[in-house]
Amino acid sequence: MLSSLQNPRQAAAQLMNFGLILSTAFMMWKGLSVISDSPSPIVVVLSGSMEPAFQRGDLLLLWNRNLFSETSVGEIVVYNVRGKDIPIVHRIVRKFGTGPDAKLLTKGDNNAADDTELYARGQDYLDRKDIVGSVVGYMPFVGYVTIMLSEYPWLKTVMLGIMGLVVVLQRE
Amino acid sequence: MYSSVVRIQNAFGFFTTVAFAVAAFIAATDLLALRTPSVGVLKTTNVQVVRGRPHYYSSKKEEYAIIKFSLDADLSSLFTWNTKSLFVYVTAEWPSAGASSSADGAPNNQAVIWDSIITAPSADHLANIGPVAMKKLKRSAQGKSIDPSRGKLTLKNQRPKYQITHPTGHVAEQDDVVLRLHYNVQPWVGILTWNQEADFWKWKTLHNGLSKKFSLPSLKKKTAEKKAGGASG
Repeated sequence: MLSSLQNPRQAAAQLMNFGLILSTAFMMWKGLSVISDSPSPIVVVLSGSMEPAFQRGDLLLLWNRNLFSETSVGEIVVYNVRGKDIPIVHRIVRKFGTGPDAKLLTKGDNNAADDTELYARGQDYLDRKDIVGSVVGYMPFVGYVTIMLSEYPWLKTVMLGIMGLVVVLQRE
Repeated sequence: MYSSVVRIQNAFGFFTTVAFAVAAFIAATDLLALRTPSVGVLKTTNVQVVRGRPHYYSSKKEEYAIIKFSLDADLSSLFTWNTKSLFVYVTAEWPSAGASSSADGAPNNQAVIWDSIITAPSADHLANIGPVAMKKLKRSAQGKSIDPSRGKLTLKNQRPKYQITHPTGHVAEQDDVVLRLHYNVQPWVGILTWNQEADFWKWKTLHNGLSKKFSLPSLKKKTAEKKAGGASG
């Protein structure tokens, strides 16, 4: 810390490096978003309603383009309920009509009942535009860190503390 | 330069690289496994249409189709070391009156009438079943991590899990209805796969997975009151 203060050129280089890492990560995320046409191309599973296929903390890769066929029954989709901003991962079990106006009904594999109760008041079916993407890829467990961080906020403090300590102790 | 922090960073970096490489390798081995799913029999055995309400407190009356069916299928080749579970489902499909089907040939109306989750033995502990059934399930494949025999399905006059309707509330006397068998392979890691339309290298299409066309009968008056309420599926 002290050494970098004495050497402003080195401090600037470190700052640049840090910025580069951040912007690279951001560009990759947004690039993936453009390729898959989905506002959030990677999501973490937050509930057990799709067990045994997906557990909490698993990472899902989404795809939101209809290149060859329409989004149809059997696909596992991530959708947002109107007026709420909680993404839900469930399977489409009914589809009536075709095109953007098709009515879609979803259900979690592990749930006894379909999602009619989860939808907004007066909403009986989902539209295609409510869907953020269809699940195409699966990676277990990797996203559990984010669940830990949101469930135990003190972990954030601990992590920040450790990082600060490392910066202070690290002298080259 | 070689502080303990740097060492930890290097070790962690190497660990993630190796973990991702192994995961990618496992996912890629899916392509090498032969998939030859086949269907022996898929036919309806009893079809009824009754009137009911979507849920107990609803005053709306809708028509529900109850399609009993028989299925004989062999999906055992879908179970490999990267198969966590198999989701098997049967849909009923029918065209809408007056509307042409969509550009990609998909039917206008499609609804799941029956589904089943078949876990691989190493994923048995994740299944959502009671303790007795769980014990039985675990004992059925003791010592095995892959059990292809679970992919052999034989259903005789199976009751549907879901009684289906249409947003208009009318399904009675609907012609040209077919049942179709689908599957979805859930991997331990990698891409999710469904029954594909065309052969893809070692993965063959699901042959014979379509029933004959049938018509839904007209409304059955007597059972209407009995069935009311339990039809939300």
